[in-house]
Formats: sequence, C-alpha cells, structure tokens
Amino acid sequence: MKTLMKSITLILVLISFRSFAQNSDPKFLQATKTGLELIATAKGAEDYLKAENHFERIATIATKEWLPSYYAAYCNLYAGYMTADKELKDQYWDKALLEIDKADALSANNSEIYALKGALQFMKMSVDPRTRMYLMGESAASLEKAAVLNPENPRIDLIKGQDIFYTPEAFGGGKAKAKSILESAVAKFTIFKPSNTINPNWGAEAAKALLAQCK
Amino acid sequence: MQTFKLSLLFIFSFTLAKAQTKISGVLKTTKGIAVANANISLKNSYDGASTDSTGRFAFTTTTTGAATLIYSALNFEKDSVQVNLDHGNLTLNLGIKEALNQLQTVSISAGSFIAGDGKKGAILSSLDIATIAGSRADIFAALQTLPGAQTSFSESGLFVRGGSASETKTYFDGMLVKSPFNATVPDQASRGRLSAFLFKGTSFSAGGYSAQYGQALSSALVLESTDLPEKTTTGISILSVGGGVDQNIRFKNSAITIGGYYYNLSPIYSLIKQQQDYVKAPESMGGNFQYKLKTSPTGMFKIYASYGRTNLSLYSANIDTPAVPKYFSNNNFNIYLNSTYKEYFGNSWKLETGIAYNKDKDAGLLTVNDYSRQDHLLEGKAIVTKSFGQLSNFKFGAETFNTGRLESLNGPARTYNDQISSGFAETDLFLTQKIVVRLGLRGEYSSYLQKYNLAPRSSLSFKTSAHAQVSFAYGRFYQNPEDEYLIIKPTDFEHADHYILKYEINTPNRNFRIEGYYKDYNRLTKIKDGNPDNSGSGYAKGFELFWRDKKSIKNADYWLSYSFLDTKRDFRDFPMMATPSFAAKHTVSVVYKHFIESLNTQFGGTYTFASGRPYVNPNNPVYLADKTQNFNSLSLNVSYLTHVLKQFSVLYLNINNVPGFNQVYGYKYSANGSNRQAIVPAAKRDFLIGILITIGDNTFVR
Repeated sequence: MKTLMKSITLILVLISFRSFAQNSDPKFLQATKTGLELIATAKGAEDYLKAENHFERIATIATKEWLPSYYAAYCNLYAGYMTADKELKDQYWDKALLEIDKADALSANNSEIYALKGALQFMKMSVDPRTRMYLMGESAASLEKAAVLNPENPRIDLIKGQDIFYTPEAFGGGKAKAKSILESAVAKFTIFKPSNTINPNWGAEAAKALLAQCK
Repeated sequence: MQTFKLSLLFIFSFTLAKAQTKISGVLKTTKGIAVANANISLKNSYDGASTDSTGRFAFTTTTTGAATLIYSALNFEKDSVQVNLDHGNLTLNLGIKEALNQLQTVSISAGSFIAGDGKKGAILSSLDIATIAGSRADIFAALQTLPGAQTSFSESGLFVRGGSASETKTYFDGMLVKSPFNATVPDQASRGRLSAFLFKGTSFSAGGYSAQYGQALSSALVLESTDLPEKTTTGISILSVGGGVDQNIRFKNSAITIGGYYYNLSPIYSLIKQQQDYVKAPESMGGNFQYKLKTSPTGMFKIYASYGRTNLSLYSANIDTPAVPKYFSNNNFNIYLNSTYKEYFGNSWKLETGIAYNKDKDAGLLTVNDYSRQDHLLEGKAIVTKSFGQLSNFKFGAETFNTGRLESLNGPARTYNDQISSGFAETDLFLTQKIVVRLGLRGEYSSYLQKYNLAPRSSLSFKTSAHAQVSFAYGRFYQNPEDEYLIIKPTDFEHADHYILKYEINTPNRNFRIEGYYKDYNRLTKIKDGNPDNSGSGYAKGFELFWRDKKSIKNADYWLSYSFLDTKRDFRDFPMMATPSFAAKHTVSVVYKHFIESLNTQFGGTYTFASGRPYVNPNNPVYLADKTQNFNSLSLNVSYLTHVLKQFSVLYLNINNVPGFNQVYGYKYSANGSNRQAIVPAAKRDFLIGILITIGDNTFVR
C-alpha cells in the first residue's frame, strides 16, 4: 500500500510537472485568458499598457513560458500605435523589442515571435525613416525568417500588407501593392487554427478591415 | 487512506478559508507627481494592478504573511517594499525614482557633429547628407552647411574654425585618407573622391576629438562604411556630366560590389560658359571594388579598393601678360585600398584592425614647365577596446604610417619619406548616467622629423535635464607640416590646443546647440626665403549656433547654422599676424527640404551667407587688410521618385546659385600691383541633371 501510494504520488507529481510545461497550469492559463480579455476590450493606449503590465506580471512567475513576453510585446506595439508622442512610441517599442527577444530566448525558431519582431522593427523605422532606413532590412529579414518557419502563419502577410499599405507609393508602398498580400492574409486566416486557446490568434479582423480599404 | 482523504479535505477547506487582502494606494514620484500606467505586483504571485492617471491602484490577493510588493514604470527605477498581509487591508503611499532611459544618457559630444543611421547622438542621417541642395551628394560640400565649417569654392577641403584645409583629416573606417579630393583646377574647389552613398555614418568633429585620431590640427572627419547590402541590385546613374554603374551581389554572409564611372565635362561646358578656357574639359574614369564578409554574428571583414584617372588642360588669364594666357594641364591617377577587420571577443572585448594604402599622382605642364607630384601613404592600425560597467570603456591602440612625396620640375626631383608611429590609450568613464569623462593620451614619433610628441585629450559631459547637456573639452593636437614644406627639409610638429564649451538640447524632432571655443596655435610653419621653420603661431576663437527642426512644418525639415569666427595667424609667407583669406567672420547657412507626397517629389534649398574675406592688396601697406564683398548663394534641388522600365528611379536636378549672385572669393594682383583680377566661381550658375535607377529592388533604398 505504501509503495502504491508513493508511486501514485510520484506519478501525480510527474503529471503536474509535465502539464505545467504544456502550459495547462490552471493558474497560468486563467491569468493568460484574463490578459487576452484585457486586450480584446482595450480601446486606447492606457488599456494596452494595463494589459501589458498584466502579462509582465505573468512573465515574472511563468518564467519558462514564451507567451507572456510575446503578449507584453504585442501590447506595447499597440500602445505605441495609439500614442502620438514619437518619443513614447520609441520607448514602448524599445521595450517591446526587449520582450520579444526574451520570448525568442524561451522559444527558439518560433514563427509568431519573428512575425511580431518584424512588425516592431518596421514601426521603429517609421518613427524616423530618414535615419532608420536600415531597420527596413532588419524587419524584412525577421518576416522572411517567420515565413520560413511557418509559411501558413497568416500574421506575416497581415504585417507585410499593413507595412506596404501605410508606405507612400513613391517609396514602394501603396494600397494597390498591399491588396494582393492582404488577400493572401485573409485567405490564410480562414484556414488558420491555433494549437490551443491561448496561442496567438489575432489579426483576422484587422486584415479584413485593411483589405476593405484597398477596394 | 482515511488520513489521506482527511488531509485533502483539510487542504481544500484551508484554501477556501484563505482571507482576501485588499491592497490599495497611490504611486508618486519623489517630487510628488502621480505616476500612471505603473505595474504593481506581489512577488511570486499573479496578483497585481496598474496605476490609473492619478497614480492610484487597488487589487486583492489571497497571499498571506510577509510579502514583497514590487512597483515599476517606464522611465522609473524598479523598487519594492515589504508588506505583511496578515493584518487586514493595506493602504500604501509609494514613491518611485526617475531613471534615465538610454536616449537620456549623457554622451561625449563637445566639438562633434554626428550624422548616421541608427547612431546615438546622430543629428543628420546619411540620406540628409546626400540630399542637401547645392552639395550634389558631395560629403565635403554638405558639411559646409554645418557650424564650424567655412564655405569654400576656390580651394578643396574643409576649413574648420580658422584652420586651413590641411588641418582637417579624413578617416575611412578609422584609416587616414591621404588624398580625399579629386584632381584640382587652379582656384577651384574639387569634389571628394568618396561617394556619400558608401557611408552609413559621418562624424564631423570641429575640435576636441578622440586620441584615436592624430595628425590633424583642427578637425577630424570620420566616415564609417555601410555593412552588407540588403539585396542583389544594380544601380545605374546617368548624369548630364557622365554616368556610372554599380553591381551589388549579395550572398548569405558576404557581398561584392563592383562599380565603374565615366565623366566628361565637355558637353556641359559647351552649354555653361566657364571662366577658364578649356583645351580639354575634365574627363575622368574609374572603378571600385568592395568585398564585405560577416565572419561571425559580430565580426566583419571589409575591403574597399578604387582606381581613378582624370585628364584636363586649360588656359587661364595671365594678369601680368594678358596676351599670353597661362597654360595648365593635369593628369591625375589615384589608387586607394582600405581593408578592415572588426570582431568582439567574449562580452567585453573588441578588436579593430586595418590596413590602408593611398597613392595619388599628378603630372602635367605648368605654362612651359613639366611638373609631377606623387603622394603615398601606407598605414596599419590596431585598436583593442574593453567595455566595463554598463557604458564605460577603455581602449588602446597603435598605428604606423609610411608617408611621403616625390616631386619633380623639368627633370630634377626631390623626395621625402616619413614613418610616423603612434600609440594611444583612452577611457570613457561614465561616473553616473549623467556624467561622463573621457581621458586620453596619444604619443607619436616621426622618423623624418626625428621628434616625439605627447598629446593629452580630455572631455567632460554633464546631463542637465532629460534633453539637455553641457560639455567641455580640452585637447592638444599635433600635425606634421604640409608636404610642400617637409620636402624642403624636416622641421618640427605644429600644434594647437583646443578649449571647447557646449550646451545642447536634443529631442527627436528638434536640436539646438551653442558652442564656444578657443584655439591656440603654436609652432606653425613659416617660410622665409624658401627656408621653412616653426616660428609661426596664431589663435582662433568664436561661437556657433545650430538649430534643426523636423516638426514645425509638415513634411519639411530645415536646419540653420551660424558661425562667428575671430582668428589671426602668422604662418606660411605671412609678414605678420593677420586674418587668413579663408576665414570669414560670419557664416550662415540654411538648409530646407520639403517632401510633397502627391507629387512624389522632394524640393530642397540651401542658402549660404559669408561676410567678406580678407585678401592681399599689394597697394595697401597693411597685410590682408582688404575684404571682399559679402558672399551669397542660393541653390535648389528637386528629386522626383518614379519608375523607369518598372525599376525604382530618382530624377534629379540641382541648380547652384539660382539668383546669379555675384560671388567673389578674392583677388589676384599683377606683379606691379596695378592690375587685379577677381577669383570667382567657374560659372555664375551651374546645373546638374541626372537619373538614378535601381534594378532588383522594389523599395526606395538610396
């Protein structure tokens, strides 16, 4: 009986360890879901910063998970979008780049991480294109790597499409050029299924909305 | 088994019975200002909250006992406080200290002006340099719009803070460039040889520069070449004066660039009347080769090699005998080779090495005399940098130059050769994020002069607020006399002491700086009856203002520089202390750029003003006491971005001196002093039209 109890305990312990690594630790899962709700209901920069703080807190506890840092970076990306002050934009995006590198250290060769990194590098460039032209190449390299890792990741085309959409025609951008890429993004979003409920699954609406403006 | 169940039940009930503690409060700075969007969290728990716009926060936790409450916010130093959660709800008044972010870290900046892509402290980008109206993508012309530099059109080079052109040295990836300028026509400035598009960073220092750079009395122009090109592309340029082709081939970790050009000014000279009567308008051709290899994630090996040839001949007016114009011809030949290797070792060591070779040969006919001149420089250099702390570093290095000249006139030749060896050590010490001190020492030995020198350099910068800083620099700078004197006989090093004080405010869109300086020149070369010595001296003092604004006017960017210069020197063949002819008291330049998206076009304008410059009038008993009229210039350029055969292209037009201001740089007098002739630009107005096509890239890269 005693040995049986011991082995059951051992099994239980082992299962709990394994499940933690598969991010089904209920507390982590719940906290991440709460964070995703904060993102879903976010309206302005402040809401995104609130969600970012939330994910930062998760990241300090769930030190083996890449998602908290990934979402913290995502929140900073959006907080930057919604801020007019260029200096603040820069600060949010610098922080986001540190967070995305942290995520990369925890989950190497992850297409989602490189896609978000590409978006951040592009936005950093957009703050001061004249002096940061070199970031264009870095952004393209990140997005290319993301596509090699998972060509079906719809967020890559969304980010590329978005970048081209907002780049003036004279500099190789424009709505006409963005259209086919956004169409490809929308098509990929219809097939895309995240492997679990908390993995990245954002962007389908944004892709549709941008594509609508291309017509 | 029963006990097991019981204990489970106990655990459950305990969990249910856990008390919830509410933690609330307010977070303020040490000055009492509410901090919004801060992150408040309990260590080892998911519980926490963000502060609102009034700095307030509230959350509940089931954690009990002693706990650590952590609070952090962007631009503030992370802090924590110990709390006990066993005694009911908590209300806290928290204080947080401001942290300096990276942008707000103090930097060493006295005397220097940094242009570069992604560089800390950069005021201009490499594209800004290439697109200044009137500069026609010439780095040296572009830098003349910055404070400290004089406008020049009758002599090649950068005249900085009362210094002659030979006092400014150009460095390519840390290696000295002996002949940075193209072949020169008498009384006309020529363009730099190195294309503005080769570089990602330009640091123009008007004084007080690092101990790393020697042999420059006044100024160091430090050019940093680009890394691997992004893609394989072909660049074609067709200009009203010729054309060029560049082929970039990109491999995974390396790249090769091969380029060639041919320029012939005779068609344009038939359209625009020139001062000189050309027999053969300047014709030049050349090529360059680059190889760049990323040897590791942090290592880079580069080779740049170029070859160029120019021919020209002309008649210019002879003031003494107008019936017999002066003949001048020049065949120039130039080779330049630069190879560098850079690598980081461990987390804190960096090694930079380089080797460079430059040979420049001029030969031709001066009236009836055959002349030839050949300059050479071979340099090797190595620098080791050790970083410590977060920002500080210590570097030391050594370099050696073999340099000299060989010249002849109608057969007889003379030559000199010098081996200058030097070592230096320097440290950038960040005492805090707000204070940085640079201390350096450089020693040189010249085999030809058989003399040593030892030059201390120092700099101090102090951050006065988030965007403002004050800098001070002192340094001693040594330089060999110019080749034309050295070839007569060895003398001694010339030297200058710089004292610089600067205040600046930098925000992402606006820059303001004011800088004052005093320069004390000693042992300048003087020549008496063809015999050089070091009995010359001089001073220069002044102040400069710079303002740049990228924000106030939509899609526009402008900058304004003003330089005040008070200088006198006794050097070369001067009979006394006097203000040299290259020094204007007041210099103003305004550069404006405006991009109109609907037209895909950038318009640019550059206005330059310089007060009159002294010239030698043999009829005036006081040397260099006469002054020319004020100098005015307005140049415009237009760049239209378009597609030619579906390839990205830029159509480019530049017109110099659009209003046709009368520009006089000085006067030449006949031997008897009765006739004079103004030194003026080669043409009143000048234009350049061209198209740059980039094949293989769908984005605008240049």
